[in-house]
Amino acid sequence: MLKLDTINAFYADLQALWGISFEVNAGELVALVGPNGAGKTTTLRIISGLLKPQSGTVTFDGKTLNTEPAHKIVELGLCQVLEGGKVFTGMSVLENLELGAFVPQARQVKNQTLKHVYEIFPRLAERKNQRAGTLSGGERQMLAIGRALMSKPKLLMLDEPSFGLAPILVDQMFQMINEINKQGTTVLLVEQNVRASIDIAHRAYVIENGRIVGHGSGEQLLSFESVRSAYLGDSHA
Amino acid sequence: MLEAFAQNLVYGVLIGALYGLAAVGLSLVFGVTKFLNVAHGEFLMVGGYASFWLFTLWQVDPFVSLPAAIVSLLVLGAVFYQALFSRMVKLTEGVKIQNTLLIGFGVSLILQNLALKLWTADTRSITTAYSGQVFNFLGIRFPLVRVASLLIALVLVIALQLFLRRTYTGKALRATVENWEAATLMGIDIHRVYLLSFVMGAALAGVAGALVGVGYSIEPGMGMSWTLKSLVVMVLGGLGSITGTFVGGIILGLTESATGFIALMAGGGLTYKEVVGLVLFLLVLVFRPEGLFGSKEG
Amino acid sequence: MNKIQITIIVILLAALLAFPQFITSESVLNLAVYVLLYVSIASSWNVLGGFAGQTNLGHAAFFGVGALVTRMLWFAGWNIFASMVIGALVAVVLALIIGVPAFRLRGVYFAIGTLALSQILLITVGNTFSTISSIPTEDLKVYSLVPRYYMFLGVALLTIVTAYVLLNSRFGLGITAVREEEDAAESLGVSALKYKMLAFGISAFFGGLTGGAFAFYHVGYYPQLTFGPEWTFDSMMMAYIGGVGTIVGPVIGAVFFVVLREFLALRFAEFHLIIFGVLFILVVLFLPDGFMGIWEKIRKRLLRRSK
Ligand SMILES: Nc1ncnc2c1ncn2[C@@H]1O[C@H](COP(=O)(O)OP(=O)(O)OP(=O)(O)O)[C@@H](O)[C@H]1O
Ligand SMILES: [Mg+2]
Repeated sequence: MLKLDTINAFYADLQALWGISFEVNAGELVALVGPNGAGKTTTLRIISGLLKPQSGTVTFDGKTLNTEPAHKIVELGLCQVLEGGKVFTGMSVLENLELGAFVPQARQVKNQTLKHVYEIFPRLAERKNQRAGTLSGGERQMLAIGRALMSKPKLLMLDEPSFGLAPILVDQMFQMINEINKQGTTVLLVEQNVRASIDIAHRAYVIENGRIVGHGSGEQLLSFESVRSAYLGDSHA
Repeated sequence: MLEAFAQNLVYGVLIGALYGLAAVGLSLVFGVTKFLNVAHGEFLMVGGYASFWLFTLWQVDPFVSLPAAIVSLLVLGAVFYQALFSRMVKLTEGVKIQNTLLIGFGVSLILQNLALKLWTADTRSITTAYSGQVFNFLGIRFPLVRVASLLIALVLVIALQLFLRRTYTGKALRATVENWEAATLMGIDIHRVYLLSFVMGAALAGVAGALVGVGYSIEPGMGMSWTLKSLVVMVLGGLGSITGTFVGGIILGLTESATGFIALMAGGGLTYKEVVGLVLFLLVLVFRPEGLFGSKEG
Repeated sequence: MNKIQITIIVILLAALLAFPQFITSESVLNLAVYVLLYVSIASSWNVLGGFAGQTNLGHAAFFGVGALVTRMLWFAGWNIFASMVIGALVAVVLALIIGVPAFRLRGVYFAIGTLALSQILLITVGNTFSTISSIPTEDLKVYSLVPRYYMFLGVALLTIVTAYVLLNSRFGLGITAVREEEDAAESLGVSALKYKMLAFGISAFFGGLTGGAFAFYHVGYYPQLTFGPEWTFDSMMMAYIGGVGTIVGPVIGAVFFVVLREFLALRFAEFHLIIFGVLFILVVLFLPDGFMGIWEKIRKRLLRRSK
């Protein structure tokens, strides 16, 4: 479904990604893990078109995305949830969700999708008229994911959805992600919480210093140095 | 004396509504795009001349020709946006403000001198059959055209507010203001949002200019002072708030007229009223940079 | 500086010093005076606007205050040099007073705030001093352009040399750091405010000094004239066209500006400001480093070829 082929990406003169290649198949839940500054967010930005690669190709359902502007890529069914949620704080929860359904095909079925999102995140239904700026961190993260679901994505990309959440909420969050995947949305999950993401993911890639250094499933991955350090939480050092 | 003062305040509110209208346009553009278009006052001037020439050459009533003033500014705004400002979209905020300020300054130089060349430095004003009409209320005079202008300004500001609150496009605009990356990831084409808000801002300036032309007077060099007034009001009102900005305009109008009145009583020059707005502005910048009505949280 | 550069500077200096001895045409001398005036005012704007990256839209305020104070003191019988220095110092005081609040406002607010300040002074001065200010007739009898030329030459050289010394000192590094990345500079222990205030003070001083020279030069004008926004805008345009943030940029910009303006004014009369507007936009869009940017590119290419 999604395929990255030898992607090289730069921030000005600084190379952030070095020949990244990987793929995500329809229906899968794939995790992309690695320490801080490894290039996880950058990879997602490349896929969603916020950043254009210097070389290499991104293909989605057989279509090359390299020249597509970011807002067109959303229409193709790819939606990225930014690090930290980034909800529109000045607008109500409902308005945020409505904006999620901005693309034409999603707008037509807006009300059905909304019902569905409220089922996954009942909390959002309770607070639909509340200003998003007044939500708690966990609620914002839910809103950001719900908003992305409103665009009816075929592939949902999540950037550290568990970051900053209380431990109980973290478990809930991973369950919800798993649930979303089970209901048919392909998920690319970027996480530092390696244990939990590997538990729910079908496969995982390990990224380090802008390069993919490992690939596999479950326990297999825990043998990697970087994975262990991230898992043990000393990646912040 | 008291009556004269009240009369002055009424004049203040009437001109303040136009300050508000012009500033709402500038603030809309700045809020969405972070473009500081210092040629805003020149856009206003062009709107005034469009209305003036339609009236002078073909006797089109200035209120009837408002749509024409709007359309000409939509076009003018789109041309300047596509040719110049669209190149600034991708820059970081600081550089963007700086560069658009410089570009806007070049544009204002061009428009002002073009107007000077084409239409001379003469002060013009649109004098219709009903221009002198005034109605009295409690002994205070209300000039008909200025009251009509105030109503039009009010209607436009409310319409803009509804557009931003109720429509999908309006919400897309507000989303872009908050976070353009997140907005892009909703499938919003921010280039279109930028273009839209830029031309809408220009059109609001155009209407304000036409109304200035009928209620007051216009001349090629008016742009600078209107840009400054709009900036002052934009900051008074707190960036981003449409209602706050409009009220800020009325406050500026009131302050000016009150100062003008006091200066006149004290035997000073009337032009001091121009200063008071700027002083107020500096005070607000220093003591309440979030504006009179703005709030600190995002 | 290398030997070639020093030789060029010495020759240029000699030519500038000898200039009035060979040129007797008043109009040429007047033109030279204007070139020097613009070199000074553009270079002084550049200290804050270019080196420190703070767009000052109110430079006219300092030029105007310098001119106003100098004129008053000079007419009151003071020595012209003393009058000019006092005028420039008053400009500095003004800058320091508004500097602290103004620098709390970043980016756009600083630009608008300074513009508002200069407009306040423009209007107030226009109201307070509404009559023309003329050099008294007894002084006019002995009026000569040559000392004015040297006065402007002195101010221009002083401005350039100060800017040069400043840029190549520790302060130069600090100021550049402030321009590049204010937050980073702050965290590196550089007091951004201190450097910005210093740049503002120096910029205001030389703006004021140039105003003083103008007061010494101009026979009769309305005091309001020196507070007009065009002094700011012209300075900004010259700095950008020549190369903002460099020493030579504003100098080249000023020479180019005055010469082109003369040329255009002769042929295209009122169109010259429109042409300047277009030129300015083109520079901002396509030549962000101005003429100096082109020169740098050529130099690099030549260097590469000679290797
Ligand atoms: N806007 C930017 N400009 C310059 N460099 C950047 C930018 N964004 C990221 N980088 C650099 O690119 C590299 C990869 O960053 P990226 O954000 O992709 O890492 P990450 O894996 O998402 O890290 P984290 O887990 O901390 O979110 C880092 O070295 C980072 O410093
Ligand atoms: Mg990241």
